[in-house]
Amino acid sequence: MRLKLYRAPAMAAAMRMVRAELGPDALILSSRRVGDGVEITAGLESAGPEPHMALPIPAPAAPRTSQLSAPHVQALSFHGASPALRNKLAAGPLPFALAAALRFAPLPLAAGGKPLLLAGPPGAGKTLSIVRLATRLVMAGTMPMVITADGQRAGATEQLAAFTRLLGIDLLVASQPAALERALARRRDGAPVLIDSAGADLFDPAQRAALAELAAATGAAIALVLPAGIDPAEAAEIAAAHAELGARLAIATRLDVARRLGSVLAAAEAGLALAEAGIGPGAADGMVPMTPELLARRLMQLPLAAAPRIPEPAA
Amino acid sequence: MTTAPTLTPSRTAALRAGQIVAVASGKGGVGKTWFAITLAHALARRGRHVLLFDGDLGLANVDIQLGLLPAHDIASVVAGQRSLAAAVQHHQGGFDILAGRSGSGVLAALDPAALDGVLAALRDAAGAYDHVVLDLGAGIERTTRRMSGFADLLLVLATEEPTSLTDAYAVLKLHHADRGADAASAEARIVVNQASTMAAGARTYATLARACAAFLGHTPKLAGIIRRDDRVRDAIRRQTLLLLRHPNTSAAVDVELLADGVAG
Repeated sequence: MRLKLYRAPAMAAAMRMVRAELGPDALILSSRRVGDGVEITAGLESAGPEPHMALPIPAPAAPRTSQLSAPHVQALSFHGASPALRNKLAAGPLPFALAAALRFAPLPLAAGGKPLLLAGPPGAGKTLSIVRLATRLVMAGTMPMVITADGQRAGATEQLAAFTRLLGIDLLVASQPAALERALARRRDGAPVLIDSAGADLFDPAQRAALAELAAATGAAIALVLPAGIDPAEAAEIAAAHAELGARLAIATRLDVARRLGSVLAAAEAGLALAEAGIGPGAADGMVPMTPELLARRLMQLPLAAAPRIPEPAA
Repeated sequence: MTTAPTLTPSRTAALRAGQIVAVASGKGGVGKTWFAITLAHALARRGRHVLLFDGDLGLANVDIQLGLLPAHDIASVVAGQRSLAAAVQHHQGGFDILAGRSGSGVLAALDPAALDGVLAALRDAAGAYDHVVLDLGAGIERTTRRMSGFADLLLVLATEEPTSLTDAYAVLKLHHADRGADAASAEARIVVNQASTMAAGARTYATLARACAAFLGHTPKLAGIIRRDDRVRDAIRRQTLLLLRHPNTSAAVDVELLADGVAG
């Protein structure tokens, strides 16, 4: 293999240099930003067998199975990733493998889109996620409409109202489908609509029916809000139950306070696209879009910090 | 749901006994001998019984790095004066060493049958150890290639430099060609050494992995990334072990983590 680095102010120019010198068969092995542009590493494999390849080497006897597992595979075990997912991700590098094995997608918050309904078990962080999304939209100059369908929990509305007052947006309370439809009728200029729901256990038929009704009445896209740190098997079932009701997206919360992210991986493995990550306490900066790079970094960070203490050397 | 593996603990231990881990790089000067020594030490610190075998053909220097004056070395084994087990000496780091003889070229000069004899003796001796770490020479000539093909696990060291990447790729390519369908049972994994940061190390791995995926049709896994660390040079200059002298330095932590992967 011939390997060569090219630098140019822009990617297109660098690619032209690669093609001009190495021809159409050259492969781009990596690219990165450098101070004044981009740097591309290109490789070109020589055609035909190389002379030393012809040397006959007999197969050695009795190879043994290697027991090695890469750091990221160990990290995945630590987090409680399923064996199937560990296998899928084993080849690494982790960010690329995650991007290939799981789905990542932004929340649909564009003007004129479907309302977004946040669902999930009690205490998952739905209300705080609504606050963070509303804050992000307001700071970007868009006034969203916020509706809460959580009429059950004491103080739920007040908690949300305190934030919406700060943000200068109205909070509509609508627990019943009919009230929701009326509330949605007040939507102006296709403003994004965020709907908070009561924490629900979807394995309870009545609560399940209530969420299905809520989704139907609002025509909303459902995003599951699920905390890191909970049991991955439990998370997989919760995610599957929400997917059955039409959820396609997941917001992972509490990445800043949980050590194990197996529940997040399990939700993604159940088919939900990872959209957002709760990474801190702040309303404005506590949640960021989830990317394969962010997830990979978070997965690798904890086991490294938890690496076994190295004993003092013997004198 | 996947079925749990049916191996009993004792069976697992039997499979693991005597795993031969070869360390290669293609290019010289990327820290191969240092890495082999430090890996052997890290495994020993995990309670494993480890033999470090200096297979650095013409220019063996494991003993030099460790400041040893070996009474016996590989030359006496090849000459038939001593058995391999009797030529081994114990190092205070907690592992055994079979030293090479720098400048003798004793292994490089062996004909294929004689080399296979030495390797068969190594396989026998390996039965008494949990891991044998085989420090291979730079380059891709016949003896090195034969020895890397013999290992259960080949760790290929690469640094960020294009020359190192190209040479590491050549080693991986030959290993792939030699092992063919057998590649899964004697897999090669990549170690990025002297990485300026973890992220830069991951990029180096990705570059090499992509070349292998495109040109060889398979992607070697990452064994680990070791960050560049001035204290490595300090340990080598003082002929001592990094994990003894600077146990909490970044390179030491990285090798320890990598050793966890090898130890399984």
